[in-house]
Amino acid sequence: MKKGKSLLRGTGIFGGITILAILILSLRVQGVQQVPDPHAEMRSDLVMIDTMKTFGKLERSPVVFLHGQHTEALAKQNQDCSACHLLDEKNRRSYKFKRIKDTDRQTVMDLYHAGCITCHTETKAAGLKGGPLTCGACHQDNPQVASDRRPMGMDKSLHYRHTKTLEDKCEKCHHVYNEQTKVLEYVKGQEATCRYCHGEVTVENRIDARQAFHQACVGCHQERLAKNQSAGPDMCVRCHDADEQNLIAVVEDIPRMKAGQPDVVFIKRSPDIEPQATPEATPASDEDLLTRVPFNHKAHEEFNDTCRVCHHTNLKACVSCHTLNGDEKGRHVQLEQSMHKRDASQSCVGCHGSQQVQPQCAGCHASINQKFGGDSNPAACQTCHIKSPAPSGDPLLEPDDRTRAALLHESRTRVSETYPADKIPEKVEINTLADQYQPAQMPHRKIVQSLERGIKNSKLAAVFHREAGTLCQACHHNSPVSQKPPKCNSCHGQPFDNRQPVRPGIMAAYHQQCIGCHTRMGLEKPAATDCTVCHAKKTAP
Amino acid sequence: MSISRRKFLGWLGTAGLSVTLGRSAHSATNKHFSGYPDSNGVLFDGTHCIGCRKCEASCNKVNELPAPDRPFDDLAVLEKNRRTHSGTFTVVNRYAVASAPGKPLYRKIQCNHCLEPACASACFVRAFVKTETGAVTYDESVCVGCRYCMIACPFEIPTYEYGEALTPRIRKCTLCHPRIEKGLLPGCVEACPTEALVYGKRDDLIRLARQRIFRFPDRYVDHIYGEHEMGGTSWLYLSGVPFRDLAMREDLGNLPAPSLTKGALSGVAIVAGMWPVLLTGVYAISKRKDKIAETEKSEAVAAAREHADAETKAAVEKALAQAKKEKAKEIELLVKKALEEAAAAQKEAAAKSETEEDA
Repeated sequence: MKKGKSLLRGTGIFGGITILAILILSLRVQGVQQVPDPHAEMRSDLVMIDTMKTFGKLERSPVVFLHGQHTEALAKQNQDCSACHLLDEKNRRSYKFKRIKDTDRQTVMDLYHAGCITCHTETKAAGLKGGPLTCGACHQDNPQVASDRRPMGMDKSLHYRHTKTLEDKCEKCHHVYNEQTKVLEYVKGQEATCRYCHGEVTVENRIDARQAFHQACVGCHQERLAKNQSAGPDMCVRCHDADEQNLIAVVEDIPRMKAGQPDVVFIKRSPDIEPQATPEATPASDEDLLTRVPFNHKAHEEFNDTCRVCHHTNLKACVSCHTLNGDEKGRHVQLEQSMHKRDASQSCVGCHGSQQVQPQCAGCHASINQKFGGDSNPAACQTCHIKSPAPSGDPLLEPDDRTRAALLHESRTRVSETYPADKIPEKVEINTLADQYQPAQMPHRKIVQSLERGIKNSKLAAVFHREAGTLCQACHHNSPVSQKPPKCNSCHGQPFDNRQPVRPGIMAAYHQQCIGCHTRMGLEKPAATDCTVCHAKKTAP
Repeated sequence: MSISRRKFLGWLGTAGLSVTLGRSAHSATNKHFSGYPDSNGVLFDGTHCIGCRKCEASCNKVNELPAPDRPFDDLAVLEKNRRTHSGTFTVVNRYAVASAPGKPLYRKIQCNHCLEPACASACFVRAFVKTETGAVTYDESVCVGCRYCMIACPFEIPTYEYGEALTPRIRKCTLCHPRIEKGLLPGCVEACPTEALVYGKRDDLIRLARQRIFRFPDRYVDHIYGEHEMGGTSWLYLSGVPFRDLAMREDLGNLPAPSLTKGALSGVAIVAGMWPVLLTGVYAISKRKDKIAETEKSEAVAAAREHADAETKAAVEKALAQAKKEKAKEIELLVKKALEEAAAAQKEAAAKSETEEDA
């Protein structure tokens, strides 16, 4: 009797531990996410219908719906969008299935079930290939199709083609919401990017971007097609398929957008520090302030595809949201940060920095300290914050602000060449280390000229490489620009020097510099491990 | 014998709690060892390694290891991932990483010289010693060849000379302990052309690694592998891709290997010491129980016997008394009879005489 009891107790504990172990293991198994089938068919017209999730948790898997397939099938039966999409009270096509609004769970569910199944049955009855009729065929747990839908956007070229076709009738697309009259109206001069208002999700009566684009774009295209006018696509793939996107004609020479934007302008400073311009005073002196930055708005329009790249929330000046000390309006990003934040694509420094990953730049720039922008030299600030000449004192002779900005901007030095070829050593023999290998013969001039060619057409590089010797500084770093910089072994000696823990030894300095640069520039040859290409093997004496 | 559902669930709960609320690994000791001060280490920076195998060649040379089947400048060896064996203390492997397509990445594998080595904790003859210089050294003169170290090592580093019939040894990287004592650099570090291997004080290396991550946040994964893994190792790693992509274990946790077992193992001494006492005690108790039982039994028998004796005696006495009584009664009866007879006879005689007188 007693023995039996302790045996049972032992079994209980063992069982408990086993069950726990199983639970823990099964939890781990549950944590593994399902990966999409790599062999799945890629479709750009795939819509996963998960509308029901607005009413709570989904009971079944979302429905795999191929929109293009349905459009084609309906076209064969002489039916158009109206077969599924209704018109709302303003005669606009609703992009919901057979309804204008999501009412309640049961109604919407019944709408889908009745709508889909009835049509599928009728199509089959008519002797055509109808869609599935069983639950699992639509609500697929492991769909064999995956979406490769590419987002579509309106770039400069496409915008120009639209303005040309629509004969500059901006009101065809652009509108603003009038708070008083509660209607959408067109206001000349207030045209802006759709996304400023139409966000990711619908807010009250402001529809989300996806709906807005489909309503506006597809609606207009269909309207024009019906009138036999030239029009854009009304099929999913024409806009959202990668290959089809490449077929969209691109206009090379695009005139500037007509939004009253300046050519060259001083970047607005905070009104807190802006000197009060009085009629009798000479234009603001920059002497005791950080000098204003002349900004070539026109050139930046050319470099970027949309206004949104910089004007990420509205078309106003940066300072209108990013105040001197930062506040809620600018999400607490100060004015200074809005221009200099390295990890923000909208800031000057952030965007310029992102250009440095191109292979022709990365060789040098990747080895420059990323954290602080690499340039702590105060002279670097003056590349943008150009010192303006002292005013002449005669107000009549002083040009206006924009002209001043343009003049100042034009006065910047642009350097796209280094020293003349005969001043650049042709070959440099690296012999300080020759041990297992013979001295390396470095084709010094060839390397410099190759780097020069890489940046020849870059306006950005021309402005920021301030001196002829700037280009040399990627290798000849940490010493002032000079035509005769110190030799590598002036600084690099024995490895692992306690006093200079960050500084590599001479052997590593060479290898890191050469191999690192070659790798980052994507140079396949010579291979990093092909030692004898750079230095021949030493033969036994 | 039956157990209620409530009782069974109670046991289950207790079992579960005892698993989840186990004692902390440190409970067996009151201090946490975080490495010898000023001990040395090596920092491997994966972003600088070019996979040239110079470290392998140098390691082979300075440790006087057997020549490999294929020369060290044959990089086709990298086609396959290798591991250390008794003739190779270090290998460099190449990894194709999905996040950096077309850019092969390399990792050097050798003993990580843990701050609290699993091999040393598993070795019962103390063949492994974590020295103050940082190296985990091996003393072949005491090794019995049990190979527990090979099983204990989470990095699968110690290897065995299976080919040696008479004096097989465990072989692994020594962090060039003999060279360090002579003031030289470890062979691999000295040979590395790109300083992908940095030798120095472990604390300095951690600072250096942090500085590299800070200065080039885009280049590195923000983690120093080996700073805390398995309680910390003397070899440290920096990488531009997640360490799992370089086939490095990320499941090891930050506890040193010995702390995982010392709680249980510290019980061994107690068990070993207590066992004889316990068993003797159990034996003595059971013996005493037997003895008491025996005594009780004999006492009971004696008592029973005594009781029986008394009963018999009483019965006999009773019987005797009865017999006596009966006898007395009989005698009395007989006496009475005799007296009556005598009286009758006397009466008869008297009557006779009376008659005779009368007569």
